Amino acid sequence: MRKIVILLILLYGHLYALERESTLKMYHQIFSALVSKPMINVYTDDKEYRKVFATSKRMVLSGDPEKSDIILITNREALFQIMRERQWTVAKDEKPILFVTDYRLLKNSFDIVGAFYWRKGRSQLLFIKNRLNAYNITLPDEYKDFQVDTL
Amino acid sequence: MTLKHTNKYIFIIMGLLILFVIYLQFTIDKSTENLKKEEIKKSEQYAESISRYIQTEADGPLLTYLEKNVEHREALNKILHTFLTKEFQYIFLLHKDKKGHYRFLLDGSLEDPVEYNTLFFPKSKRFNSVYSTQEPQIVKQSEGVEEVWLSLLYPIVAQGKTEALLVIDLSESHAEYLNSFNSPIMYMVRGIQLFLWISLLFLIYVSYNFYRLRKSMLVDPLTSTYTKIYLQELFEKKNVNQYNAILIDIDEFKLINTRHGHESGDTVLKMFAKEMMTLLPKESYIIRGRGSEFFVIVAKESANLEELAKTLFTHLTEKRYLIENETISLTLSMSAIVIPKETVSIQNIQRILDEKLFEIKSRGKNGLGIIGNVSGDEIKYKNLDYIKEALEEERLTCLYQPIFNTQTHAIIKYEALIRLIDKEDPGKLIPPFYFLDMIRGTTQYIKMSKLVLEKVFDALQKYPEIEISVNLDLDDLYNIDMVKLITKQLYRHRGIANRLSFEILESKEIKNYDEVALIFQQLKTYGSKIAMDDFGSGYSNYVYLIKLDIDILKIDGSLVEELSSSPERTKIMLHSINDLAKRFQYEVVAEFVSSKEIYEMVSELGIEYSQGYYLGEPKLLESYLDKKE
Repeated sequence: MRKIVILLILLYGHLYALERESTLKMYHQIFSALVSKPMINVYTDDKEYRKVFATSKRMVLSGDPEKSDIILITNREALFQIMRERQWTVAKDEKPILFVTDYRLLKNSFDIVGAFYWRKGRSQLLFIKNRLNAYNITLPDEYKDFQVDTL
Repeated sequence: MTLKHTNKYIFIIMGLLILFVIYLQFTIDKSTENLKKEEIKKSEQYAESISRYIQTEADGPLLTYLEKNVEHREALNKILHTFLTKEFQYIFLLHKDKKGHYRFLLDGSLEDPVEYNTLFFPKSKRFNSVYSTQEPQIVKQSEGVEEVWLSLLYPIVAQGKTEALLVIDLSESHAEYLNSFNSPIMYMVRGIQLFLWISLLFLIYVSYNFYRLRKSMLVDPLTSTYTKIYLQELFEKKNVNQYNAILIDIDEFKLINTRHGHESGDTVLKMFAKEMMTLLPKESYIIRGRGSEFFVIVAKESANLEELAKTLFTHLTEKRYLIENETISLTLSMSAIVIPKETVSIQNIQRILDEKLFEIKSRGKNGLGIIGNVSGDEIKYKNLDYIKEALEEERLTCLYQPIFNTQTHAIIKYEALIRLIDKEDPGKLIPPFYFLDMIRGTTQYIKMSKLVLEKVFDALQKYPEIEISVNLDLDDLYNIDMVKLITKQLYRHRGIANRLSFEILESKEIKNYDEVALIFQQLKTYGSKIAMDDFGSGYSNYVYLIKLDIDILKIDGSLVEELSSSPERTKIMLHSINDLAKRFQYEVVAEFVSSKEIYEMVSELGIEYSQGYYLGEPKLLESYLDKKE
């Protein structure tokens, strides 16, 4: 019986690891399209996402949003917090890129370049062209279909 | 039904069972698929109704209607919501903007509703396909989609133009529910299937082991030739008469083992068998018998037997074998036979070849004997099973050849001669040449002797005026069972036993005269007489006259026959034997009196009794006695 329980735990752990790995892989692909660096610094205050990014070998989890390349925002409060703090003196195209996990957040700030979210059971990836231009970002061709002019 | 057939039937039954279970599984799958199809059909009907309703409500261009009327949009959203049951996960209406992006027009979800004109990125290219072809499609969702089993894409078309795309998502949980609908039966079927597959694998494993075991029984591990078991099985399937046979024995093979060791002997056997394989035509079988004996079966059409046997003999005796730095050659004794058409059993052929081989070995070995024409009778009757059956059915009779008083020409005695009766043709009698040597020393021989004695005593009983003699091999008297049988029969018929004579023929030299004399005494207890058969030939010699208490001397037929070719010299010898016998007061019988000329000479020599075809052939007793009467 104990063996079965251990086996089930291992199986669950394995499945969980697989899911985490696929999420990590997906975000790495998206962020690599946005930032052309071999090692990307990512900041997020979401505990779940921090756990995921902590295991990455190609992305570094940053503790300081200012020093990161990309800030991943998962809720409105976090967005407003970042917006308040985002008074850095650097030029806009040098500021960290904002990326969200909710479609509605896109409307709250023109600094957000894109979002990855779920709608009607389907994963949705979206980039806003003019905001990308503001950061001087040109996405690879395979992301052409996911770029929109307006929301 | 043989074991082999049983295995075949088990495999067929297992195969059928597996097919049946696969069919069951297929049927259940089909039933589940039908359930799913029903659901899809239902969603198609809903889509059609919803689309018709929306178009009726809009009563004009749909986009304009929805853009302008927020309240109507809300109302339609609520109507879509009413269709959301456990079967349907999402129902929404999309429209493709000028830039080719899909945007929401309506959404039936109450929880987390999507705002009007919100962007939507479908995961399938079919959305575009339905938009352009205006044909509804079912899309099976794949990567990047959750909780959705199938999506029904239904175009809303007005005046030949696609205005919108109604999307009805069938929920994954409902698909699971449908899948689980037949699952108890499915689990059972899969369980049975698993069991059957495991059983089949086990059966294959057992069969494989059986096959390996069988192979080890059928193939000689040393020479890779077949075993005798294979030979039996071969002729269960094939006709013996389509083949010819050769028996080969390496002469003095024991000497190789003794001089060079068994390992070297085995090497020679291996090389010998390999050499044979290269010399024989394709459709040949080599069967290893005892020790260094090989039995070869060759298809008649593949080779001429005589040529093949000679080639084999020459090659195999000329071949040199290198063992322990020493070259040796072999001598062989070989017998070969063209198997007659009438042959049904290979055992008969083996026996004939054995006899021929024995003959070759007796003549000094290293020789080849080819048996060309063997009669059908020889094949048929020289069969132990046939003889056994005849004795069990008591298909046996005695013919009687009269022994005459040479001077008076009166019959004084009859010699009983055994004959078996043919199974199919009761008028055909089988002479002992075919069967006697085969059964000698066996229980069948005792059985046959018992039957002969019973018949002879019956005849003596029936005809009180006659005397009969029966043949007895001296070897038989060394057999305790045989002596018991004879003494028992003599005791039972002690009143008439004095009219019975035993014609003793010895095939070996007597070494213990005391023992034989004692047996003779036993035979003579009730007045029976002892005749020494074939006197003057083989081991039958003058010493017997001194050491044994005999009553009658039967001069060997081959000597009597010499009267025709060398009358003077033979007369001198026969005269001498007759004179000697008279001095011992023995009765003398001349055998093989086959012509008038011989008869007259026998008569002239004063030999008291004569027997032969000239005087009387072996016949049924009745035919002589009835004539007499």
